[in-house]
Amino acid sequence: MIKRLLVGFSILFVLAGCEMFDYHPYDGQVTGEKGVNAKNIERIEQALAGKTTIKFAMMGDSQRWYDETELFVRALNQRTDIDFVIHGGDLTDFGLTEEFMWQRDIMNGLNVPYVALLGNHDCLANGQDIFRTVFGPENFSFKAADVNFVCLNTNALEFDYSHPIPDFEFIQNELDNQQPEQTKTVFAMHVRPYSEQFNNNVARVFQNVVKSFPNLQFCLNAHDHHLQADDLFNDGVMYYGSASMDKKSYLVFTITPNNQYTYEVVYY
Amino acid sequence: MKLFTIKTKIILLAVFVFLVNNTTASAQKVINDTVFIITDSIKPNGQKNYRAGWGKLIPEYGKLQYAGNMGFLSIGGGWDYGKKKQWETDIFVGFLPHYSTAKNKITFTVKQNYIPWKLDINKSFMVEPLTCGMYLNSIWGRDFWVAEPEKYPSGYYAFSSKIRVNAFVGQRITYKFDAGREYFKSATFFYEVSTNDLYLISAVTNGYLKPNDYLVLALGIKLQIF
Repeated sequence: MIKRLLVGFSILFVLAGCEMFDYHPYDGQVTGEKGVNAKNIERIEQALAGKTTIKFAMMGDSQRWYDETELFVRALNQRTDIDFVIHGGDLTDFGLTEEFMWQRDIMNGLNVPYVALLGNHDCLANGQDIFRTVFGPENFSFKAADVNFVCLNTNALEFDYSHPIPDFEFIQNELDNQQPEQTKTVFAMHVRPYSEQFNNNVARVFQNVVKSFPNLQFCLNAHDHHLQADDLFNDGVMYYGSASMDKKSYLVFTITPNNQYTYEVVYY
Repeated sequence: MKLFTIKTKIILLAVFVFLVNNTTASAQKVINDTVFIITDSIKPNGQKNYRAGWGKLIPEYGKLQYAGNMGFLSIGGGWDYGKKKQWETDIFVGFLPHYSTAKNKITFTVKQNYIPWKLDINKSFMVEPLTCGMYLNSIWGRDFWVAEPEKYPSGYYAFSSKIRVNAFVGQRITYKFDAGREYFKSATFFYEVSTNDLYLISAVTNGYLKPNDYLVLALGIKLQIF
């Protein structure tokens, strides 16, 4: 009995290897790819430059649904009509360093490039530091064909007024640096206005700034874990929310010339 | 003007050394006497003199651990007890470099070990084929909370980012030094495989996570002092 234990554990120890020396669940030790968003944005912008029609998938809230997220990646890889994927945030459930890397590794399995937004769960503990390292800044934008995608951190409840959220300075800079090639705008955020996470004191101010962008198509969000399609401010600006990964669905948007777009819900 | 000549200095130093030695000697004597009185001191009513218990607060061994989800390097000590000294309780302070985060961090660990078997290989070596136990780790810093702050609706996150519950199994090998020849009685090398509550809940709900994702290795040394 004891001898068997001895042999068994020795084998386990050898098999374990050196990768398993973890210092702490929140140690911030990032291995593998860093700065994922910037690299993928370059791929998106190059592939779509000059095009007039784009088709992309919107998903999010993949926290602790690794198996389901893997299924999503497999499902999306089976089609060839998608240009890129937007992950609406909440990659992690607890903000653990490993969670960011597990999710990155699954999402890296996509054949098409993707960008990830910062979700409120991703801010837990030192999560936003890990997010910045693995994916990049929490406010960013990219240009897909003639559409400027403005991606924002809207998780105000996580930051206690220590950071401007939403960051109007960033949004204004986006507006000021609008390129003539990008005649349309799409906003993407983890939390939409009037959510418990949003800084609702500025919900209408935010909406006015969003509407000042050229040819605003619609706004995208995640967070609420169920499908949403709402004209939140009764001003014609639609907010579309993707369901969480356990619901096994994602949204597909097609933005076509003549200022039109269509969207569909895809179950896998 | 010099306050003392060299000769005076030497004399003063000699007197000082003499006094210090004398004091230490008498102090040792007092301690010895005290120990003698305490160990045999049973009060008339049959109760033990609990002053003897204070001596037990001195850790019986020191431990140094690398990795294991309680810091890059943790230093601590503890106490062994039980008929076969099969129980050990340790406390550790761990150091965690900041890596991708803003600050270096300190962690604090309380660890309970159970060591059911001790096998003597020869006069010097002893093997413990199984160690197991649990440890609570607390990480210090404003980013971590025991319960979610009041700003959140109640039950919003429903977990603690500060306190982790870990469980481990491992093995040890001990080298016993010749009695009286070394400062330490024995040196023990150990390794452990562990996981924590959050890794475990992630693993049981997902086939994607493999053992090397949610299991963690640690190495350590234990030096027995008493």
